[in-house]
Amino acid sequence: MNPGIDLQGSFIEILTDLGLPQGAAQALWLPFPMVLILIGATVSIFVTVWLERKISAAAQQRIGPEYVGPLGTLQAAADGIKLLFKEDITPAKADPILFTLGPAIVVIPVFLSYLIVPFGQHMVITDIGIGIFLWIALSSIAPIGLLMAGYSSNNKYSLLGGLRAAAQSISYEIPMALAVLAIVLMSNSLSTIDIVNQQSGYGILGWNIWRQPAGFLIFWIAALAECERLPFDLPEAEEELVAGYQTEYTGMKFGLFYVGSYVNLVLSALIVSILYLGGWEFPVSVTWIASLLRVSEDTAWLQVITAAIGIMMTLFKAYALVFTAILLRWTVPRVRIDQLLDFGWKFLLPVSLVNLLLTAALKLTFPVAFGG
Amino acid sequence: MLGFLKQIGDYAKDSFQAAKYIGQGLSVTFEHMGRRPVTVQYPYEKLIPSERFRGRIHFEFDKCIACEVCVRVCPINLPVVDWDFDKATKKKTLKHYSIDFGVCIFCGNCVEYCPTNCLSMTEEYELAAYDRHELNYDNVALGRLPYKVTQDAMVTPLRELAYLPKGVMDPHDLPANTRRAGKLPQEILEETATPGDP
Repeated sequence: MNPGIDLQGSFIEILTDLGLPQGAAQALWLPFPMVLILIGATVSIFVTVWLERKISAAAQQRIGPEYVGPLGTLQAAADGIKLLFKEDITPAKADPILFTLGPAIVVIPVFLSYLIVPFGQHMVITDIGIGIFLWIALSSIAPIGLLMAGYSSNNKYSLLGGLRAAAQSISYEIPMALAVLAIVLMSNSLSTIDIVNQQSGYGILGWNIWRQPAGFLIFWIAALAECERLPFDLPEAEEELVAGYQTEYTGMKFGLFYVGSYVNLVLSALIVSILYLGGWEFPVSVTWIASLLRVSEDTAWLQVITAAIGIMMTLFKAYALVFTAILLRWTVPRVRIDQLLDFGWKFLLPVSLVNLLLTAALKLTFPVAFGG
Repeated sequence: MLGFLKQIGDYAKDSFQAAKYIGQGLSVTFEHMGRRPVTVQYPYEKLIPSERFRGRIHFEFDKCIACEVCVRVCPINLPVVDWDFDKATKKKTLKHYSIDFGVCIFCGNCVEYCPTNCLSMTEEYELAAYDRHELNYDNVALGRLPYKVTQDAMVTPLRELAYLPKGVMDPHDLPANTRRAGKLPQEILEETATPGDP
């Protein structure tokens, strides 16, 4: 396997050469990837909001934001600044502690989940063994925050929205986890790095989407439901519930929900691209290109290029999925709550179970193709 | 057993059909993204009102004979005609005339029936005001002519859809003097005119 660039290794090596102890060098390294990912995730909000507004406008033959920054790119920043300066209101009979805690609990796990998102062989904050499981665990914390926000607002619409959010998240977590389980079966590991590595080597043909087409669809549908994107945006259905659990929120607390939902969308898209679309892999295997050009895989410039392509490929795949999510938003109508639960429990769950069993059976019969 | 299998088959067929319809819907949405925006960026671009546009009413004080036909044909008797009878000339003299555009429905009956043509429709439609009483136009305000969209240097005038050449959907960057689709009203009149007509 191609070792790729190991920035952490080289950084620690330089510092230990300068006479620092190993532990101190490692501690000095730690903040870099964290801050970088935090900045990246925050910037992704602006990118996604801009994409959402521009693509929505294009789908409706409008122009969209145009005057704030070039092509309206700074519109999200302007909106954010506006939210920052707005008065922070807590309703009179609301529970102030839970009311403040709600948005924080929604946002923090989403940002924490970026721990396990790899952009390259060594470009991940931590390659922990339970990688993807950590994400599933973290993503199930968010509905608690939503429920808190809805319940503490002392508003019937908020309460309904919060309850819907909880019901929706719980129902769609199961098919999602089962779809992930099928992937994990094939890669024999929960680590996101291993999952991507298992898909590498054959270019686009090796990606999990060919071995798990049903799983891909189930996962993407469930991810949309978890992100409360249309057609599953019942918790904040603006036409019926005002804004669901967000109704009573103003200022930056409302902004946090906004931030959380967009970061979550990007995160889900990234996870889908890692699980099913080969993560940082180029559609044509880089190893194959390198051997065709007779370049050693350990060549420095090739590794830099591979790493750069890897980051771009991950982001490209993720944003292609975000694009489909936005397109889907203007295509399908919102489902009713009973249809949503029916779809989750009576369709996605059995289909994902069958998918899991089929994967297990195929793994036993064709261990070569299904990671025996 | 067979019934159960048929149920499963039907269910699967329905699912695939639903997926197919969503796919069709997506392709429609995607296709719409390629179209040009229909936006008219209002304060900077304005549509040229059609020649029959019924905007704010223009009033010529000197032509008015204070006959009050406009008041009688108005659905709500809106125009206020203030006149005195001049005993020396045995004629009415108009002192004041006003129309409240906060109440007017721009039906154009007054313009239609005015015997001296002192009332006419303009292209003006920007009648926003901070106070509804500002919309009560007196004879001075009614006598003002609006700014034409085509003569405003700050505004890009755009033609309405019906005034575009045949096959053109986009009013932007049209070369000047391009003809609209179909015949112009005066051409139709010329064609149908009989030689003996005045």
